[in-house]
Amino acid sequence: MNIPQDNVDPDRTMILVRELHKSFGDIHAVNGISFEVKRGETYGLLGPNGAGKTTTMRMLSALSPASSGHIEVGGIDVTEHGREVREILGVVTQHDGHDSGLTVLQNLTLHGYLEGLSKSQAKERAMEVLTFFGLEERASANVYELSGGMKRRLAISRALLTQPSVVVLDEPTTGLDPQSRNRVWEQLAVMKRAGVTVLMSTHYMEEAATLCDRLSIMDHGRILDEGAPDELVERHAGEEVAQVRTRSDAVLEQLRERLAGTPYRLNEVGALVTISSDNGHRPDISDIDGVRVTYRPGNLEDVFMVLTGRELRDE
Amino acid sequence: MTLTAATLKRTGAGKIRWRSVTGIWLRHWTALTRYWKVMITWILVEPAIMLLAIGFGIGKLVDDVDGGLSYAEFVTPGLIIGTAMFHALFETSWNAYHRIDNQIYETQLTTPSTIFEITIGDVSWAVTRSLFTTVSVALFAVALGWITEWTTIGILIPAILSGMVFGTMGFFFAATAPYTVFLSLVFTLVASPMFFFSGTFFPVSVLPDWVEPIAWAMPLTPVVHMARGFATNSLEITHLWSALYMIGLIAVFWPIAVWLMRRRLIK
Repeated sequence: MNIPQDNVDPDRTMILVRELHKSFGDIHAVNGISFEVKRGETYGLLGPNGAGKTTTMRMLSALSPASSGHIEVGGIDVTEHGREVREILGVVTQHDGHDSGLTVLQNLTLHGYLEGLSKSQAKERAMEVLTFFGLEERASANVYELSGGMKRRLAISRALLTQPSVVVLDEPTTGLDPQSRNRVWEQLAVMKRAGVTVLMSTHYMEEAATLCDRLSIMDHGRILDEGAPDELVERHAGEEVAQVRTRSDAVLEQLRERLAGTPYRLNEVGALVTISSDNGHRPDISDIDGVRVTYRPGNLEDVFMVLTGRELRDE
Repeated sequence: MTLTAATLKRTGAGKIRWRSVTGIWLRHWTALTRYWKVMITWILVEPAIMLLAIGFGIGKLVDDVDGGLSYAEFVTPGLIIGTAMFHALFETSWNAYHRIDNQIYETQLTTPSTIFEITIGDVSWAVTRSLFTTVSVALFAVALGWITEWTTIGILIPAILSGMVFGTMGFFFAATAPYTVFLSLVFTLVASPMFFFSGTFFPVSVLPDWVEPIAWAMPLTPVVHMARGFATNSLEITHLWSALYMIGLIAVFWPIAVWLMRRRLIK
């Protein structure tokens, strides 16, 4: 991948979001969020369904107007200059949005043409990105013949046609099998090495931890916390969490009593109780009858549960 | 109409990026080159069969119409423009709905293209389809001897106007349809009644007096009237009024179509 980078100011802020709001009627889909992404950084928006991730990314891509607030991409005001922003931005929308009337290659060349490339440039770039994503043999296939993973890779390659310096990806790997997901991850890593600034949303913790330099945890249209994955884990889950596997109500009751009023947080899922804290000490529970405690490193999943709770979300 | 002004300003009508328009047209052309073997049945085969059946079959039962025209000569321009209407309406209702539903417009909007430009591209394709069917069926009718006047070349004008008016109207349905079956209304409530009552198969003057103005208000009647004027070399001032009426409809319909599509696609 050959992404041209101007050498001015490597620390330049490529994405700037200030006090961003979006309401649909009475619903505040995005409720006053702010964040910045520096050049070459991969930044994640992590949150359950309905947290406001997609709405944020649509506003940032000038696909949806903000109710209030300020967004800049590459120093350009998105509200004022939507067209210019879409010129410099590569966007992978949540749905692949491929044109089923056209072949794989035609999808890309026509998109490149709409982006402003000449027909021959568009075709050349299309073959380059198809090769990069291992799709070159499917160039003349119909898009509906592709697997889910291939469709997703095609959507990402489409966003890279114009060699954008900023790419926005809305849930790049949702619905993919582990092999396809790994493939997408590898390619995002190559993009990152090439210096592309990436904003991505996901609800896979592992994905966020693997790919993102920094991330925000969102829920109900707000950013609950922001930082590097390790920082967030340390802050909310602790380096280590304790786990107790039990099916006994008596044991559970004792655990709850013992930890009530302490900084330790209990998270019960099925037969597994996870106990986390940010104080760096193991909870004092090993003496409870019938309890066998194991310890594992804290992860983003723990942070996520601590911050967003366990209620189920609809779309 | 403040709605219009605001809509056009927001969609950036002040500076149209022609690359977006030609790109959308090119998309449709590319798709047609893949599926032309199927599309030809709609562009030529089906209207030709209808023309033969009605021209020969019903033509046998009907005496000359409107001062010396055979029924076949009378019905040919009506049928041609009626078919053009179906093509244009279908393109921006069913096909456009498919593009909404499958996020194809959303993908197009991630390029620097605007909804205004995309609708121009789509309507220009609706016009192209109108012209394809008009030219093919007209040549077929020439071969049959049912079009004899050289002035018939002017039929391209009502064909273009049909493409624009019905191409714009189609968006009304695409942009408001809650589900696919809803789009059947395009045909059951709009296209079919117009096809039969717009002077296509019989002169509007045959209708009861109180229905006549309604028939004239329907957008197909003026273009059929124009097409017949050209095909039978009998142009008069009323054909100009018909053209102006169609242009007026475009001026009213287009901003509404863009507004509806914007409402549907940009939330």
